[in-house]
Amino acid sequence: MSEVQRRKYSQEERSTIFDGEFMPHIDSMYNFAFRLTFDEDDAKDLVQDTYMKAFRFINSFEQGTNAKAWLFRILKNSFINDYRKKSKKPATVDYQEVETFYNSDDVDYQSTSDLRAESVRDMLGDEISNALNGLAVDFRTVIILADLEGFTYEEMAKILDIPIGTVRSRLHRARNLLKDTLKGYAQSMGYGRDEEED
Amino acid sequence: MENNDASSPERKLQCSDVSKCFQLLERILDGEHVEGGNEMLQEKLDKCQPCFAHFHLEQAIREVLKTKCTKQPLPDKLAESIRQMIQDAR
Ligand SMILES: [Zn+2]
Repeated sequence: MSEVQRRKYSQEERSTIFDGEFMPHIDSMYNFAFRLTFDEDDAKDLVQDTYMKAFRFINSFEQGTNAKAWLFRILKNSFINDYRKKSKKPATVDYQEVETFYNSDDVDYQSTSDLRAESVRDMLGDEISNALNGLAVDFRTVIILADLEGFTYEEMAKILDIPIGTVRSRLHRARNLLKDTLKGYAQSMGYGRDEEED
Repeated sequence: MENNDASSPERKLQCSDVSKCFQLLERILDGEHVEGGNEMLQEKLDKCQPCFAHFHLEQAIREVLKTKCTKQPLPDKLAESIRQMIQDAR
């Protein structure tokens, strides 16, 4: 606190930061909120709350630093504190359980080794989107941050308040789970048939 | 741009350490700095079929996620209502 609240912005500076550094991320913020809540109204509320908090705590934001990561961290905390409890979705599997369950990478690799890059590229947006939405929230979150928004492991560690090693392993497992789903889709589309004929 | 040859006689069909190799490939794809990463990547793509296939699969997944899951349309007036809220809060 003491270090980050080193100064107070004037009203004009606050407007400049808010409009110039915060508002440009609204599309990404809404996409993230929607993929966490699966509900348009909840996503809107979540984004609004996040921007209100960002404005209220603007003095703890250092101008010119990573506004997007700062905003995503607020949004993710708001989601955990305010929305996750009342979410309409049934309780998701705790990632700890899943992480223990998928303790062997080699098993994962075998199960996805016949999924092909070309079949993934041929899939429809809805299929990719549904596969992503089907992941437990902690796994979904790391994929959104890494692949949709392009955050680095280090930025993700700050947004999620977890060590970088945990970011790496959770992301790795999230992708394996996603590939399992995509593999199911690929098979139902008739890909990988040449291998079945062998 | 991208060599997508399904197989090449130059590549061995078994990877010596799938788990280690694939995690390395994934870190490189995620843009993490890996010491000597470019040389290792080129070596694996040239010499190892499982690594080659895994790299292109992982690349395709990142690509479709990026292009197909980021288009959630922003509701009308959301930006406007946020600006209004901030005005009122001043
Ligand atoms: Zn290999």
